[in-house]
Amino acid sequence: MLFAAAGSVQAICEPVFDSSRIAVAGGSITEILYLLGAEERIVAVDTTSTYPATARALPSVGYVRALSTEGLLSMQPTLVLGEEDMGPPEVLAQLERIGLPMVAIDEEHTAEGIMRKIRCVARILGLSQKADALILDTLAPLTVELDRARGRAGWQPLAVLILDARSGTLVAAGKETSGQAFLRMIGAQNLFSDISGWKPVSPETILSARPDFVIFSRPGADITASEASSFAFAGGTDVVAVDTVETLGFGPRTIKAALDLLVKLQGRAQPDE
Amino acid sequence: MNSAAQVLHARGQPAWSAHAALACAMLATGVLALLAGAVDISIKSLFHDADAVLQRMILLEIRAPRVVLAACTGAGLAVAGAALQGLFRNPLAEPSLIGVSSGAALGAISVIVLGASLPILQPLASYSLPIAAVAGACLVTLFLYGFSLRYGQFGIVTILLVGIAVNALAAVGIGIFQYLANDAALRTLTFWMMGSFGRASWDTLIPAVSLMAVSMLPLFALTRSLDLLQLGESEAFHLGIDVRQVKRCVIICSAATVGAGVALAGIVGFVGLVVPHLIRLVLGAGHRYVIPASALLGAILTMLADLLARTLFAPAEIPVSLITSALGAPFFLWLIARARPR
Repeated sequence: MLFAAAGSVQAICEPVFDSSRIAVAGGSITEILYLLGAEERIVAVDTTSTYPATARALPSVGYVRALSTEGLLSMQPTLVLGEEDMGPPEVLAQLERIGLPMVAIDEEHTAEGIMRKIRCVARILGLSQKADALILDTLAPLTVELDRARGRAGWQPLAVLILDARSGTLVAAGKETSGQAFLRMIGAQNLFSDISGWKPVSPETILSARPDFVIFSRPGADITASEASSFAFAGGTDVVAVDTVETLGFGPRTIKAALDLLVKLQGRAQPDE
Repeated sequence: MNSAAQVLHARGQPAWSAHAALACAMLATGVLALLAGAVDISIKSLFHDADAVLQRMILLEIRAPRVVLAACTGAGLAVAGAALQGLFRNPLAEPSLIGVSSGAALGAISVIVLGASLPILQPLASYSLPIAAVAGACLVTLFLYGFSLRYGQFGIVTILLVGIAVNALAAVGIGIFQYLANDAALRTLTFWMMGSFGRASWDTLIPAVSLMAVSMLPLFALTRSLDLLQLGESEAFHLGIDVRQVKRCVIICSAATVGAGVALAGIVGFVGLVVPHLIRLVLGAGHRYVIPASALLGAILTMLADLLARTLFAPAEIPVSLITSALGAPFFLWLIARARPR
């Protein structure tokens, strides 16, 4: 087998010549392929592709930023579909020399960005009609509902988004992170919008700033009782947990997850109403 | 002097056959490493099958540079390990244990992180990364050497303690860069530090391998001086060795060898410790045997480690340093146990 055109990493949403065997690098792309009913075309996934559970049974070509050239090629894909951060660049350069078509899907951390991402993947695979119908039926109405809830009068809470934190260190989302973008989706202001990237923060900073919400993002969204009460005495701070992949993956489930969380938080913020 | 010469020569015959055997083993390992991998490649179809274009490309563009990089890095680390052990007169001087590899990694990481925020550096990355890695390795080696000049000959325990301190210092530097790094650079760093030969390509390989070759060659020429250094520095001086010159050469050459390897492959641990020891067990301590044989065995072991790293969990890969350290660390413990008087 040899590929028709010389491959290179493209970021354009144009239909490809052959999308019968797809290697996926990125959990949200895998989710989108399942959503579009194209899961039978997936021949390999990366380790961030954990949803739906059946995706975990597919052959793994490593972490999205540590892909294996030969491992990818051994699955004989006709297309590599990845997030824009797939890598390492040296491996992509090797695949490019082999001539394997690769598309890196642009990532934009908004509800509109998610829908664009779905449309882009669908267009590459020739499934645009299906995507349009899906978006029209479910995601667009959810986005409208999300916008409405976010625009509710007086809703401008201060929040912190903490990643995992099982190791004991609180790693908070700063500016230019998917975490801050998620906070923006639920209309919350990020307490740590001054720091850049994901950075460890001190619990004291959080306690003294008295945010309205501390949101733990972790796989499975489970939270222990002591964690739930850890910021309780800071006067009005509420602790909730959300699933990492669902929220920060910016895949098809993220809009619903944001809306659910927003409704839950608004319910907690005004228990008397 | 006479008896020493006799001892060195008495081993001449078996040493040459051992070298020949190692060279054959290295070639065999190289061929095995070229033919085995996630993608099935059969020799027959390579030559007879018109459709084998892809397989030929995988062989030539992906596997071959990778195997060459593994072999050269392994040889370089083993030779640098053997030479540093000779220089410090200490069997535990190993590039990653005493901090030379960390120094190289610190140099390289500074380029990865700063390069990500200074786009001007980006086109220069293929040159600035190896240069920074070599500079970092040189800095650490010079520091170690200066420390040993100031505070006298290192005992086995001292060099390990100094190594811990140097590694800790390098870890601070690496930590600072990790803190400064953006999300993407951070995740790149994590895997980069664990070592992999998967990033090899001919255009980055050729400058690095040339540097390794150029910096390794003087070490092969210094074997007699290293032997005489074992008697002590003043003894070596009276036997006509320009001790300062030899030391400077060993430090710069081994640091450049390690730095060039680290720049492309990240940190690959314990090769420089295990290989020279295995060779000494069989061929004795004469550097004229230890250095060339270490180069061969280092290449063999590293190619095998890389082969395991890319086939054990295919189609995914594990970092090669997991394999070398999993084999090397127990060996290290065994060395310590053996050295302790009961």
